[in-house]
Amino acid sequence: MNPLALQHYLAVGAIMFCIGLIGFMTRRNLIVMFLCTELMFQGVAINLIAFGRFHDNLAGQAFVIFVLVIAAAEASLALGLVVLLFRQRNTLDADAWRDMKG
Amino acid sequence: MNDLFTVQYAWLIPLLPLIGFCLSGLFGARWLKGQSHWPIWLGVGASAVLSFMLLFGMLKLWDQGPTLAPAVDVGRIITPVTTEEAHPTLSTTAHWYEWASIGDPAKQGTKAYLKVEAGAFFDPLTAVMLCVVTGIGFFITVYAKGYMAGESGYFRFFAYLGLFIFSMTILVMAENLIMLYLGWEGVGLCSYLLIGYYYDKPSAREAAKKAFIVNRVGDFGFGIGIMLCFLVYGTVSYYGGDPSKSIGVLTKAADMDFYNKLLPWQQTCVYWIPFCLMLGAFGKSAQFPLYVWLPDAMEGPTPVSALIHAATMVTAGVYMIVRCSTLFYQNSAAMMMIAAIGCFTAILAATIAMRQFDLKKVFAYSTISQLGFMFVGVGVLAPVAGIFHLVTHAFFKALLFLSSGVVMHAMGGELDMRKMSGVRRVLPITHICILIGCLALAGFPLTSGFFSKDDIVGAALHRSPFIGILLLIAAFMTAYYTFRLFFRVFWGPLVVPEPQAGHGHGHLDAHTTPGVDAPAHGVDTHATAADAHGHDDPAHHNHEPLSMIIPLIVLAIGALLAGYLNFPERAHSLAGFLAQSPSFVQGYDVALHGHGDMGSVGAGNFGFEDADAPSPIPGLLLGGAISIAGILVALYLHLVNRTMAEQLTHSLQKLGIVELVDGKFFVDEIYQKYIINNLRRLGDVFFAFDRWIVDGIINSFGWIPQLFGYGLRFTVQRGYLQGYATTMLFGVLVVLALIFLS
Repeated sequence: MNPLALQHYLAVGAIMFCIGLIGFMTRRNLIVMFLCTELMFQGVAINLIAFGRFHDNLAGQAFVIFVLVIAAAEASLALGLVVLLFRQRNTLDADAWRDMKG
Repeated sequence: MNDLFTVQYAWLIPLLPLIGFCLSGLFGARWLKGQSHWPIWLGVGASAVLSFMLLFGMLKLWDQGPTLAPAVDVGRIITPVTTEEAHPTLSTTAHWYEWASIGDPAKQGTKAYLKVEAGAFFDPLTAVMLCVVTGIGFFITVYAKGYMAGESGYFRFFAYLGLFIFSMTILVMAENLIMLYLGWEGVGLCSYLLIGYYYDKPSAREAAKKAFIVNRVGDFGFGIGIMLCFLVYGTVSYYGGDPSKSIGVLTKAADMDFYNKLLPWQQTCVYWIPFCLMLGAFGKSAQFPLYVWLPDAMEGPTPVSALIHAATMVTAGVYMIVRCSTLFYQNSAAMMMIAAIGCFTAILAATIAMRQFDLKKVFAYSTISQLGFMFVGVGVLAPVAGIFHLVTHAFFKALLFLSSGVVMHAMGGELDMRKMSGVRRVLPITHICILIGCLALAGFPLTSGFFSKDDIVGAALHRSPFIGILLLIAAFMTAYYTFRLFFRVFWGPLVVPEPQAGHGHGHLDAHTTPGVDAPAHGVDTHATAADAHGHDDPAHHNHEPLSMIIPLIVLAIGALLAGYLNFPERAHSLAGFLAQSPSFVQGYDVALHGHGDMGSVGAGNFGFEDADAPSPIPGLLLGGAISIAGILVALYLHLVNRTMAEQLTHSLQKLGIVELVDGKFFVDEIYQKYIINNLRRLGDVFFAFDRWIVDGIINSFGWIPQLFGYGLRFTVQRGYLQGYATTMLFGVLVVLALIFLS
């Protein structure tokens, strides 16, 4: 087994991001879709920390703090919107909003 | 001649009527109302005074002998010059401003440069025409005040009259072909506006359109002729300011050196120019085949018929040919065509007039016929006779039309000869005036029409006996139908037609809006209102108000005396005066030496001294005899023995002739069937093309964004949230690829 190198951390980040992306594209439940966007955020965060660690630069960690804060703020917004959407159609299915086409 | 007051202020002559038009048009509706005639009276009157001052000034100069003043530039006025020693001319040009210039004078040759000056050219011909136009125009505006009193569009009528006088004076004063065309189109426009004056009558609207469109057909030829002139001669100015030098179109046309240096295609153009120009003259002066608009033009009010369609506008064609004589006299085929068409029209119209029952229509066909006489005069190389007849005809034809207007008012709008009789008891002064007019038209000895018509017939007989005899036949018919009308309407037992419902001032059919008529009838503000309300007893009502009678009397005096302008062997005759014009001098030159075979050209016909001229006495005697014969036939058939006329008509009817003449030879119907309907079909084709193909192409450009939208709607924007995410992902991938692969 090789000693842990940058590529491994980046790979994890990438895998997390892709899982999140695919999950966002395939799931129909609004909250699960939001969960997947959060997952994408975390994948990016891992990438940032890995770069920071391996280039001895604390900027990576600082940037991750920003990302986490923004993720949290966005979470509140998004969940608020989801609640409103739920109240309109009484379902969490994304397909309920398919008539907003064109 | 440049120091003549009127030449310096010549720009007032067209300008004052134009100002009258603006004032009457702008302020007539609300403020001037019933007084809207004042701007026009003042404007046209002042123009008339100036025109006569010009004429008398020129006459005085003529008396003093040829003007040989050294060249002095007095600001804007160009000085007069003489052509040859033997034929001095009395002319001058006034340049007002440069109207248009196209092209660069520095470029090679003059053909690349068109310069059109706004200016006036003065010579005896202009002076005579101006006096006729403004003088008779002024008296007709006086008449119109009485005739149109109470009409709802009173101000509009006078405004258009002012515009007409403006256009006509521009036409006769023009210094170049483009200004002539401007005036030409202007009078056509005014004719349209005035014929369609009663625009709520469909027949009047149709007549106005017909007049304008038929005129336009002629103007098409005229325009082509002007363009050809520019192509060949490189300028459009008549004389370019100096008739003695070869600058202008007309002098260059007379210049044989210039012609010999032209290229072959240009020489061909020179051959065709007269034919193109004469089309315009035929349209404007109502000759065959473009005469059909004039009888319909009688839908307009009577003063319009008198002024435009008798005295002035229709004479513009004759004027144009005489002015551009050097362009025409090159070409003997063109002159023959002018004479032939003139003669044919004269007889055709006279024949139709013999069976017309509407007062104004008789005179309309008579005008067409007399214009034919004028064209024959010009065509047989007797331009003096043509212009002389133009002047006398203006007097007596205007007189006849104005008299029929008085009759129409008195008879409650009725114009049908069959419904009235013995009118002389109701309208005594009009009776005398119209008698003078009829005598002049018929060419009764010693009236003005006698001298002028027989001048033409004499010249025609001399050049082409065939045309001369046809003209004599037409003269006989003229005398006959004129006095048919006179005896039927004015003599015999008194028969007054029932006044029509809603009889108006100047139109035959009932007004469709009685509300408009009522105030006009109720309000009798001035004693001179020409109302026909004496239903019970027309004999006691004054049907001859002063404003309408005075012009009649003036014109009657003119109709009697105008003949002495060109009395044979007179010292200072019209002929001699016109001979001072460069158009006549150069025209005579070209006729004598030009490259067409002109046959014998009488100098007397151009106003010059001619020792070999045949004596006019036999012609005068023959003409007088024929006119008296026509009058006697009319006297017998329409006064003494009216039943005989009906019997004759019956017997002729069996031959089918009467039906043909009554139908006016079905010319209108032929035009409708073969020309107008086909043009309509062509128009429908173009309409369909425009609507389906042209608009289709434009509209199809409008469908493109729509198709694009549909494309988006059914592919990427389906409302499917995950689909949007996928698309975004693809977009990001594409950008990344672009970044990392380039």
